Amino acid sequence: MPWNYILSRVAMFFVTIFIASTIVFFLPRISGQNPLEEKLLEEAARGGFLEDTDEMVAAFDEKYGFNDPLWEQYVKFMVDIVQFDLGRSIFNWPKTVNQLLAETIMWTLALGLLTLVFAFVIGSLMGAVLEWKRQKTFLMVLLSPVLTLSAVPYYLFGLVLLLAFSFVWSIFPLFGGYSRGIAGWPDWSNWSFIGNVLWHATLPALSVVLVSLGGWAMGMRGMMVTTKGEDYMLQAEAKGLPDRVMFLRYGIRNALLPQLTGLALQLGLIVSGLVLVEVVFSYPGVGGLLVQAIPRSDHAVIQGIVFVLALGTALATLILDLIYPLVDARIKYSQG
Amino acid sequence: MQPPTAVTELPQTQAVVESGSVYSERILPLLRYLRRNPLLIGGIGLLVGLFGVVVLGYLFYEQEDLLGKKQGVDQLTRALSVKAREKPSWNPFGVHPLGTDEQGRDILAVMIVGTPLTLRIGLIAAAIGVGVGMILAFLAAYMGGWIDGVIRVAVDSLIPIPGLLILVLVATSLNPGKGLSVDQMAFVISILAWPGPARAIRSQVLVMRERGYVEMARMSGTSTIGIVFKEMMPNLSPYVLASFVASVAGAILASVGLEALGLGPLDSPTLGMTIYWNIYTSSLLKGLWWWLIPPIVIIVILFVGLFLMSAGLDEVANPRLRRRV
Repeated sequence: MPWNYILSRVAMFFVTIFIASTIVFFLPRISGQNPLEEKLLEEAARGGFLEDTDEMVAAFDEKYGFNDPLWEQYVKFMVDIVQFDLGRSIFNWPKTVNQLLAETIMWTLALGLLTLVFAFVIGSLMGAVLEWKRQKTFLMVLLSPVLTLSAVPYYLFGLVLLLAFSFVWSIFPLFGGYSRGIAGWPDWSNWSFIGNVLWHATLPALSVVLVSLGGWAMGMRGMMVTTKGEDYMLQAEAKGLPDRVMFLRYGIRNALLPQLTGLALQLGLIVSGLVLVEVVFSYPGVGGLLVQAIPRSDHAVIQGIVFVLALGTALATLILDLIYPLVDARIKYSQG
Repeated sequence: MQPPTAVTELPQTQAVVESGSVYSERILPLLRYLRRNPLLIGGIGLLVGLFGVVVLGYLFYEQEDLLGKKQGVDQLTRALSVKAREKPSWNPFGVHPLGTDEQGRDILAVMIVGTPLTLRIGLIAAAIGVGVGMILAFLAAYMGGWIDGVIRVAVDSLIPIPGLLILVLVATSLNPGKGLSVDQMAFVISILAWPGPARAIRSQVLVMRERGYVEMARMSGTSTIGIVFKEMMPNLSPYVLASFVASVAGAILASVGLEALGLGPLDSPTLGMTIYWNIYTSSLLKGLWWWLIPPIVIIVILFVGLFLMSAGLDEVANPRLRRRV
């Protein structure tokens, strides 16, 4: 692999991260609001009169350098970002953003990875079979609702599922990632707890899987069309290979490659795609954290989440760009 | 000299050459083509149907308010403006066909007012996004050099950043606590609506620049501006239109997402805000399912309609797809 290709991809990765962190730094400072002031005002409203709010804010600003010139703050912010220090949450003081993210991101990642794998496998198989056996009308009947669904955002379909399976028929819980006060929390070796978590995760997972099936199926179907027209397929047929072998070894194997690109791209987007699903289901993931932070103007948390998600996406793109030429020898890296 | 329109891209039939009227020359082939493009027809049908209901609602739907006066939909979306305000209720054969929400608003009226508001956000944001994207695409494709480089790096680095989250950041920064207005929402969303169209149109322009008819125009002395507007634009219009429809869907998706997070226009009854109020007041826990269903149904109709339309337009833009179906 030529070095200038690798270098240009890595450079692109850093440019993306640089742009993302610059946006993350400057946007909240446009408004000129002070989250600490809001926190103190809220405290004052809750606990009666609070003296010297202004002085407390001033002292805090001084201590954390909010009075320094903007460029100095920017440099400091960038140095912190490089060290992956995302600051502290104001509303969950004194927890750091890193701690908050660590508490929530596993929920999101687990849900996202599982749903992605399920949707990818089922959807790709569906698309492949659909193109392979064109006469099977029942698959067509199956595909049209699935395709229609793919035009709908996850969280809206999630609301529909919630309405049907939690409200009308109370099969699944209305909200949360696990039942409050259940025995064994947070003991991951306790089977009843794990069962409870899975029970809560079923509807959010279903809403993502069913909606994203259509995209995978269509992509695979398109690739199968091209693969079926290749010469090696004709040869396989002439050799008298059984249908199953042709389908699995010759068809799927070759058609799967572009699907893997899509898979890698989606990998970077799983967390951000789930934000609203988590809101709808009150799931204890990153989306839930974000929704708590927004109305309280907890900038450090919002910035931290946006930065980490941008980092994840950029990283997935970079890895994909670097790996893909190795997987598919036909790709040329001429254009950087 | 034939005035360039999108229709020139469509298949012409023999009869067209002989008769001269606009109807038989332009509209008839278009209708004939539409019959073979069920996706486009279905999409347009869904959207026109939805729009028809909205117009009828604005014209004819009214309810008595507290004082027994007839009020139109605009008034009915104000809180506590209707008679049966004691409790949120649902009775399809009663006064309020879709029931009332927690604040006693008539849900049918909210939907009639909210649907065009949501569409408005999508249309404004997509128009800005596609407009800016198209200008950048032509600049990049024609200027080349470092201008092309800058635009390409900007587009390539912006596309992988998760858009919704940047918008969350913008929306929280611009107007803390009070929420944005409908038009402000549209502008915020348009910030990230241009990279997609810019990338798609740029590659088309690059391909088109090398085509024979462009070469021909260049050799016969047409200026670059003339080539762009007279030769390329007409042939580009199906792509631009497809890209526009996809952008509208994307912008509505983004707006509903922002609104569901509570960052929308708090005082406007858009579809996304209705969903937000549902989540915010835990309407399902209170059993108000009839409040949640209408916005979902309308948004689904919108998305499916736009999706079908853009798939149909893709077919117009790529004749190769047309043959396969």
